[in-house]
Amino acid sequence: MRDILELVVVLGIICVVAAFSLAKVYDITKDPIARQERLARLQTVNAVLPPHDNEPDRNTVQIPLDTANDTKGKDADAKADTKAGKKTVLVYKALQGGQVTGVAFEMSATGYGGDIGVMMGLAPDGTVKGIEITSMSETPGLGAKVTTPSFKQQFQGKSLQNTRFNVKKDGGDFDQISGATISPRAVVKAVREGLEFYQKHKEAIIQ
Amino acid sequence: MNTLIRDLVNGIWKENPIFRIVLGMCSTLAITTEAKNAIGMGTAVTFVLVCSNILISALRKVIPDKVRLACYIVIVATFVTIVDLVMAGFFFQLHKAMGIFIPLIVVNCIILGRAEAFANKNPVLNSMMDGIGMGIGYTLALLTVGSIRELLGNGSLFGLPLLGSRYIPFLLAILPPGAFIVLGLLLGLMNKVNQRLA
Repeated sequence: MRDILELVVVLGIICVVAAFSLAKVYDITKDPIARQERLARLQTVNAVLPPHDNEPDRNTVQIPLDTANDTKGKDADAKADTKAGKKTVLVYKALQGGQVTGVAFEMSATGYGGDIGVMMGLAPDGTVKGIEITSMSETPGLGAKVTTPSFKQQFQGKSLQNTRFNVKKDGGDFDQISGATISPRAVVKAVREGLEFYQKHKEAIIQ
Repeated sequence: MNTLIRDLVNGIWKENPIFRIVLGMCSTLAITTEAKNAIGMGTAVTFVLVCSNILISALRKVIPDKVRLACYIVIVATFVTIVDLVMAGFFFQLHKAMGIFIPLIVVNCIILGRAEAFANKNPVLNSMMDGIGMGIGYTLALLTVGSIRELLGNGSLFGLPLLGSRYIPFLLAILPPGAFIVLGLLLGLMNKVNQRLA
């Protein structure tokens, strides 16, 4: 009996001390972590937005993302609705003197090694100002080249009106990367869907 | 004094955790795509190793044998979480590059291995030296593997393009199989050198 009591007491004390020290460290690092995360986010947002004089993460609007497609049957619609029920897109707005000069939001599409997140910045008329890859796990040296400036710059100034949003292999206007077609295809798809999303919700986003 | 130095040097070559004891392979294989990662991971593991070795050695007479593993894991997990939080707060980029491998230090066999094999039988100072030595050995090993892989697979070292733009990267080196090949060749080389020395 005494043995067991000793085991319980020693392990208990160690756990309590561990819990208290962790609580303390969490408390100290909580603010720096939040600051770093905001900074990192703001950095990608600023990179894709035109010049502005506000803090885009303080001028945001939530727009529901409707994945339901018109061509699908009624059942599919209902399903997509319930599935995408809570899914929203957070749109960051760039303002200059109170005027919206651009918007930025994140889209994603499935690449070769999982989802590729794309932060895209648009001018109010729906032209791409710039894109940044926020997350991806593509093959290093092949698909991962979608993060290179030369790939990302292709999107500048493109809109649904003046460009065919496909890689060249699929009859579009975007260069694929030799040895990796799936990753660029995913990025192009994400941007296209982003533009379509913007077109649909332009009024709600701008005002 | 003599034993302290012996325990320090032990981990660097004679009982190098990667090349001699071959522990902690998971993180070694996964994060050595760049030399920079090796430094971050090495520092994190060294910190946890030294702290847990000191604490476990100090408590070695208090902790009952029957629950020692549970106690070690709680202690190690606490230090790992501290490292994780501090890195996220102050070295954000590095923390992002390490991803899941920081929390996974908890189950890194090197740390529990040293607690079992060394810290629970030796005085505090010796255990600290053992932790530092093992940490340095681990970091150097990661650095070697990471440098070779980055140089071959990306033509650069610590992000600096060393081999110029004419070099065609040997991609396999930074892909997962490259980790096994490079590590295997280094292990073989170490064995050869040790045979010569013996």
